Amino acid sequence: MTRFILPTVATDGTICTCAACGHALGPAPWKRGAIRRDLPLAVAGGAAYDTGHAGVFLCQFICPGCAVLLDTETAMAGDAALDDRLHLPAAAN
Amino acid sequence: MQKQDSPPLSYLVATDVGGTCTDTIVFGSDGGIHIGKALSTPPDFAHGVLASIQSAATPMGLTLDDLLARTHLFVHGSTVVDNAVLTRDGARTGLITTLGFEDTLHVTRGAYGRWAGLTEGQMKHPVKTDRAAPLVAREAVVGVAERVDCFGDVVTPLDEAAVTAAVRHLVQDKGVEAIAVSFLWSFLNPAHEARVREIIEQVAPGTYVTLSSDIAPVPGEYERGSTAVINAYAGRITRDYLTDLASQLSARGYAGATMVMQGYGGLLPAAEAADRAVGMIECGPAAGVIGAKFLGDLMGDADVIAADMGGTTFKVGVIQGGQLEYAREPMVDRFHYIAPKIEVVSIGAGGGSIVAVDPVTRLPSVGPRSAGARPGPVCYGQGGHEATLTDVMLLIGYMDPDQFLGGAITLDRAGAAAAVASQVAEPLGLDPTAAAIGIYRIACAQITDLIREITVERGLDPRDFVLHAFGGTCGMLAAAFGEELSVRRVIIPYTASVNCAFGLISADVAHEYTTTRTLGTATPAAEVNAIFAGMEARARAQLLAEGIEPHRQRMEWSVDLRYCRQVHEVTTQVHAAAPLDTAGLARLVDDFEALYERKFGKGSAYREAGIEMTAFRLTARGLMPRPKLPVEEEGPADPSAALMGRRPILDLTSGGMAVGQIYNFTLLRPGNEVPGPAVIHTPITTIALHTGHRARMDRWRNIVVTTDAPHIDA
Amino acid sequence: MDPMTFSIIRHRLFRIVDEAVITLKHVSGSAITNEGHDLMVSLYRADGTLLMGGVGFLHHLTSAAEACKAIIRRFQGQIGEADVYLLNDPYTAALHTSDIYLVAPIHHEGRLVAWSACFVHVTDIGAMNPGGFAPQAVDIYSEGFSSPGLKLLDRGEMRQDVLDTILNMVRSPEMVSLDLRSMIACCNVARDRMSALLTKYTAPVVDEACAALVEQSETLFRARLRALPDGQWQSRQYLDVQGETARVVLTMTKTDDRLVFDFTGSDPQSRHSINCTKWAALGGLFAPLFPLLCYDITWNEGVIRPVTMIAPEGSIVNCTRPAPVSVATVGAIQSVNNAACTTIGKMLAASPEYRDQATAVWHANHFAIFKFGANQRGGYSIGILTETFAGAGGARSFADGVDIGGEIPNPISRMANVETVEGAFPIRYLFRRRAPDSGGPGRYRGGTGGEMAIVQHRAPAGGIDYVISGKGARHPMSEGLAGGYPGAPNSYVWVHADAEAAPGSADRLETIPGTPEPVSWGVYPLRGQDALYVRWNGGGGYGDPIARDPAAVAADVTSGVVSARAAAEIYGVALAPDGGADSAATVALRGAIRTARLAVPEAAE
Repeated sequence: MTRFILPTVATDGTICTCAACGHALGPAPWKRGAIRRDLPLAVAGGAAYDTGHAGVFLCQFICPGCAVLLDTETAMAGDAALDDRLHLPAAAN
Repeated sequence: MQKQDSPPLSYLVATDVGGTCTDTIVFGSDGGIHIGKALSTPPDFAHGVLASIQSAATPMGLTLDDLLARTHLFVHGSTVVDNAVLTRDGARTGLITTLGFEDTLHVTRGAYGRWAGLTEGQMKHPVKTDRAAPLVAREAVVGVAERVDCFGDVVTPLDEAAVTAAVRHLVQDKGVEAIAVSFLWSFLNPAHEARVREIIEQVAPGTYVTLSSDIAPVPGEYERGSTAVINAYAGRITRDYLTDLASQLSARGYAGATMVMQGYGGLLPAAEAADRAVGMIECGPAAGVIGAKFLGDLMGDADVIAADMGGTTFKVGVIQGGQLEYAREPMVDRFHYIAPKIEVVSIGAGGGSIVAVDPVTRLPSVGPRSAGARPGPVCYGQGGHEATLTDVMLLIGYMDPDQFLGGAITLDRAGAAAAVASQVAEPLGLDPTAAAIGIYRIACAQITDLIREITVERGLDPRDFVLHAFGGTCGMLAAAFGEELSVRRVIIPYTASVNCAFGLISADVAHEYTTTRTLGTATPAAEVNAIFAGMEARARAQLLAEGIEPHRQRMEWSVDLRYCRQVHEVTTQVHAAAPLDTAGLARLVDDFEALYERKFGKGSAYREAGIEMTAFRLTARGLMPRPKLPVEEEGPADPSAALMGRRPILDLTSGGMAVGQIYNFTLLRPGNEVPGPAVIHTPITTIALHTGHRARMDRWRNIVVTTDAPHIDA
Repeated sequence: MDPMTFSIIRHRLFRIVDEAVITLKHVSGSAITNEGHDLMVSLYRADGTLLMGGVGFLHHLTSAAEACKAIIRRFQGQIGEADVYLLNDPYTAALHTSDIYLVAPIHHEGRLVAWSACFVHVTDIGAMNPGGFAPQAVDIYSEGFSSPGLKLLDRGEMRQDVLDTILNMVRSPEMVSLDLRSMIACCNVARDRMSALLTKYTAPVVDEACAALVEQSETLFRARLRALPDGQWQSRQYLDVQGETARVVLTMTKTDDRLVFDFTGSDPQSRHSINCTKWAALGGLFAPLFPLLCYDITWNEGVIRPVTMIAPEGSIVNCTRPAPVSVATVGAIQSVNNAACTTIGKMLAASPEYRDQATAVWHANHFAIFKFGANQRGGYSIGILTETFAGAGGARSFADGVDIGGEIPNPISRMANVETVEGAFPIRYLFRRRAPDSGGPGRYRGGTGGEMAIVQHRAPAGGIDYVISGKGARHPMSEGLAGGYPGAPNSYVWVHADAEAAPGSADRLETIPGTPEPVSWGVYPLRGQDALYVRWNGGGGYGDPIARDPAAVAADVTSGVVSARAAAEIYGVALAPDGGADSAATVALRGAIRTARLAVPEAAE
């Protein structure tokens, strides 16, 4: 049975997949199977995000299959990606 | 006005167009009262107006044309503006405002417009809340350079070329038919707005224009601008409606004047009302409160809670010390506006309110969803499947299945019982009668809580009040919740079924004027008098132009005062003689302090910061002749001539069903007294009495309910 | 118990809170209470547990419960009828010193049966900066008067010596006196109405109903939790003060019918007054939890029971005395609000059944600017810029966020009219509007924040001063959901006027003449022709921006809330000359964005 970690990421308890195209992202944490793109804020989204300070990033997690944006995070350099996962019985999702 | 050919009998006709029904009341110069009712006919309301007058004329043995030919005055209230806004049926409207503040209208002072007008339950669920769809598209808002400051001084002159371009853009590109103009501080210095009107008249003649400084010359740019927008949006519909109604009446032989009710409870000649659409918002309920005040004055009750409960809503207005209460933040749909308006608070509770058990909390509830007129309660047999309060009323014996609306339809008791059993009783594990009784108690408790909150909000104690119960459903509950509130007595007026129309004929012509200026209380009286003098001159000229001679003119002054650094302004009547002297001004301040404490509680005043006056108000009245209600001598107490029979009814005092006496209102005589448990059936409602209640018919044929026991468990 | 009586008592408890709020607002008469709705009134059971929470600043509901319990512990055996207690020590229960709790016992027939508690943000508390937020404070001792519990009214009688002592320590004693009186009036109404209820239904019946109400909330909340997936969701917030960055890190774990909020990994407490104590952190996570997960459940102790919080001692969310906390409500507490909103939003969005209840973060960063100085009418004015309450709605799974639409922890705030502010302070607004590109992009866009600029205007002293506690100018804080972007961050700019330039009718930051300097923390002047520009953050977006309906993007550009550049670069929407979306060019742009996304060489980590 398909369950969701986020609206964009599904899991069967073992393998995480892109909810849009079904591309397998691998076991948890799902972000390891996604493309990570760290955009400095200054170039992330026009003038409003450009605070004039370096070191803050908009991290995009992208499905390698369909290029849909699965999740975003605001992060400073060196901060680990947030780990969202389901706890399903008897599975190492 | 021509008066030489007066017919032997002349009539005053008042018609109120409500959401469901259009009610008419006709007063003859002989003292006769005649009532008419028809369904409202949106959007062509005039049709329903004529049908309603017709329905009053027929039992009088007159044709519509006969009646109108003998009518000397037609007084009117209509829901036309409310309807135009609610159904988004107004003109395509644009807004010209101060450059840099183009979003003010749409941003609604932040979250305010997102939650205003919602129930507390909805407010607690913010993810599912949004603003109402706006009356002006954001693309139809244009900012122009201009600026006035808080002293009314021009900081930036009006960019007239930009105004011309804005008007062209709105009319030619955006296709607007109406333009609202709202600049910052225009209520202090309206010159820029006035100039915009001139430019619009040159560039796009025929465009309907509303200036915020005309329609609401008071501080608060969001509310003032919103008022201008609503007025522009509904302006043409209102004007067309009143013009069309006048021509239809005239085609049927009516030659007199038409006066139109305003939300503040006063009348305006139709020609003036046509330019003040916002003034007509909720004028029907306002008329209802005016009617209650008239009856209160007649019966010697200065403190009245006016409660109206029909099919979908429960409405309450408060009259205190003979004074009306005005709404502080009036709204139509969910849009704020500023116009003097009698405060009428409503909740979704009426006969059609759906009775249900919440699937999540398992709590039984009454409303706010309603079965409306269609499909209506289950017992009407029009296809309704959801149990309603009316179905409950049938099960507890308050309605006679065979006598509803004079026997026009037979109520389906079995259907109502089955619905209440399956939708309420079974989920709660109760038997249907116990469930019905419980629902009745909940409805009483909800209304009690609402009225208590409304009175608390004004610093009032319901025990000082008389309760007037209007509408088709109110009589079944009023004695019970009136007792829980410990009001002095409950009155079901003889004219309860057409109360709003009744209110129309008890109103005066009234104009409201406001001048906004902030002055300390040490200001010389002459300066205050000069403000009033300017307004008075305008008012008297206006009244005279309407044919109201000086002896029928009344000037009522009031001033808004507040403690410096506090936000609550209190409109305080000027009791001293005009022109004011130093003592008169001192009395005004004393009256304000007393009023403030009464409204907001002891110790609420911040005297140390001083007191300031913020607005000067004039209500200019043109007194209208009051109808004389027929009076009958009170006879013996024995009501047995009106006794129709007995049947089990809910008696809250004993906590269950008991055998009650059933009376026919039309057979009761003034002086008759009915003890509970009993019900009195009138042609439009039922009055339910519990043990310990006593109903008496007074000399105006009102039913007055008092209690001898101090306690009923609701 | 009889469901009808239960329903009636529940409704009446609800109304009692309502009436008490009305009374509080009436008596207070201050702008922050009346416009900002920066207040709270709730009822508590005899043991101090939450019975009925009202609609106010919601992070106070649990903290005031702790205040009740602290008073019970401290005054055991001496609690008299009609007593009123005051508590504002953050290390005991309060959020910061200027949010004063008044806690009042409710007795019936001689027995203590319930409590009422309320708060307002008092005009001043004697901290080193005026208005309560003290960005320059170095410890709790520089944040004004604080009490872990004192008796203000003894059996209905004001203890004048105590009151005078408090008023002797604050800048605006008359206004603070009025603030306290408003809360006393509120306690009185709550007590009177509760007494009437107890008399009518008897104490055992009311107590049974209250117990049932708590029980019911717990049952319903646990059932809702069971319907949601088991798992863990994380979020992270950055708090920036003067270039120092503090992290609030949250892992929310949901197992069966229980929720654990674990702040392990959050940074140590700061030397700046953005810290919060553990009671404040607990309140901070419940503020979004009540309206997001319990929108149809009575807010009481039953909702609290299934929830556990882990907050490391000495961290920014559980600081130790004497760390300064006066900016907590718009500092660490607000970050806890945001972090909890994100994890709860993710959990709800993970459930197809509850996805429509999920929201990206709303207004994530108050800026709390208090202006003070001589006004144009010969007096002295002090007050908050109510734009800080104006907020922005987060996007939802079915709709955009509400532009300038408020915030979740305080659902019914509002902002003052420009004319109200200009009438009370010697300042003039140059503009106030929705801020372009501030709403987090997404398939559903976050609501925009706003932008405004003010100059002094005919100020008798040549200008005014202001206290600003505006952290977060470096970090977007309104996180997006499901691929949505965060809302753009706050911005505060002091534009120093050039020698002769006047701001005239400048209607954008760029057209205000002068030299811009970012400011965010401390006390600053506003004088001469200088301007203060403030932009506040938009809400987070929901879903991939290139999945947004091109027509909606085009409409946003037309109405000025999205720039053509952002439309192209973020949304991949090209505009036709008529202002509508150019379909073919949009397809091409979106294709290019996909290509660029995939061009990143390797997978993360």
